[in-house]
Amino acid sequence: MLKYSRNKLISVVREDHDTLSVHGILDDDIYSLELNITVRISDLQIITINGKWNRWTTPECHRAENLLNEAVGFRVEKGFTGKIHKVIGRKACRHFANLLIECCFSAKEAALIADMDDNAGRKQEKAVDESVKSVKSVIAAGPDISSKGFIIDLHVHTSPASPCSSADVNLLIEEAKRIGLDGICLTDHNFVWEPAEVEELRQRHDFLVLAGNEITTDQGDMLVFGLSRDIKGIIRLKDLRDEVDRAGGFLIAAHPFRGFLTFGIGELGLSAEKAMQRPLFKYVDALEVMNGKVTEKENLFAAEVAHGLGLPATGGSDAHEVSETGLYATRFLEKIKGERDLITALKSGKYMSVEYRK
Amino acid sequence: MNNILSYKRNRSTCVEQMDDYTMKSYCRFQDTFTEAYVEIMVCLPDLEITGATGEFTRSLRNECLIDINESLKRVIGVRIGSGMLKILKGLMGAKTDCRELIFMVEECCHGIILAFTKKKLLFSPKDEKEKHEYYANMVKENIRMYNRCAAFAPGSSFVDKT
Repeated sequence: MLKYSRNKLISVVREDHDTLSVHGILDDDIYSLELNITVRISDLQIITINGKWNRWTTPECHRAENLLNEAVGFRVEKGFTGKIHKVIGRKACRHFANLLIECCFSAKEAALIADMDDNAGRKQEKAVDESVKSVKSVIAAGPDISSKGFIIDLHVHTSPASPCSSADVNLLIEEAKRIGLDGICLTDHNFVWEPAEVEELRQRHDFLVLAGNEITTDQGDMLVFGLSRDIKGIIRLKDLRDEVDRAGGFLIAAHPFRGFLTFGIGELGLSAEKAMQRPLFKYVDALEVMNGKVTEKENLFAAEVAHGLGLPATGGSDAHEVSETGLYATRFLEKIKGERDLITALKSGKYMSVEYRK
Repeated sequence: MNNILSYKRNRSTCVEQMDDYTMKSYCRFQDTFTEAYVEIMVCLPDLEITGATGEFTRSLRNECLIDINESLKRVIGVRIGSGMLKILKGLMGAKTDCRELIFMVEECCHGIILAFTKKKLLFSPKDEKEKHEYYANMVKENIRMYNRCAAFAPGSSFVDKT
């Protein structure tokens, strides 16, 4: 038969770089009490204490609560338990002393974890910095056409063609002209622009407007140029590749690492070398390595993979709002007049992704 | 920072009456780094520890992962009561660097004491005035309690009555 039971539960949260907030509960057949303490991580010193009785025995037990403050300034170090038993256990209450010891030793363990976390964070930051540095040097080593060429935003969405976009096509073209782009490419989701309609836009705005598609495949979104078939639903990448080949078009993996490096998934150890082995890269002609809707880290990762695979790299804003036009673009060597010129230029590999107005 | 829990500790101590002459007290401990268990057997009425076993199944500290039963054997024969903490620390401290092991044995011993305290407290009066007298008498009859905690310190209503 159970005669007595006691449970102690301690939880520790890191409040800031140097402060731990500790909450302890002691609950047994006789007593129930709680403690909230804060402890400095750097020297394990008790900064504040707050105690509360939930159940007690004598009418005088509450006198103990105020006396807990005598332990403020104590450090969790050699001789600490003796000091707590002597000061808190004798002057205040031995049950509070008991709980305080548990809280303080828990803080000591949590400080160890904080130290591990900080070291891991420093290592990770260093690794990311190194990676960014190396990828930036890779990009810098591309063809030197930074001061000349023809700049097109290869990836924009308009409304209502793309339900997710709020950008009116006319306003979007006006904005592209205003910021000095040489052209834009309408890449609405699974939507085929009529060639006559695109031509009419070119004439009306006296500006290079091109048409492509963004098609969703089983391997993610693909920017497709030169394909006029209206594809609905999700198509297998291999099948899309076949169709693009038959049409003599060009296929670019759009934002290939969107979401791959965020929120813990990035800690799974996906290296550029491993990423290069993804089957989808066998089916594409180029990689979009500058996309306005992903993080810089994801773009840099895509650039590293493109470089490793020897695939050309493109840039596009992925604009869904007028104001997003031209964040990134692709700089070509030659002037482009229409879709056929664009495909020829894309196949030549003589272009580079650029940060246009980021 | 992020308000996410960075460390958690659970400790549970229970006392069972095995038969008229035997009590078992056991402590289970689990935290981010450690999982451990200690059990002591105590004979009545002299509250002598007659058996002690335990195991650390997980620990960050190597000193706790060696065979702890050698250290635990040293507490067999110790009587639970005043001065026991010093004795336990002295006996086990010579054989183990695993601080948590000593603490768990202490917890088991406290459990035994509190199991008897609970029994005594079940008979304390409900009436406030009678309650004061009850505790005042307790201090009077057990002078070791005087000035041992805030409730029994000078200035408390129990001590004023003595």
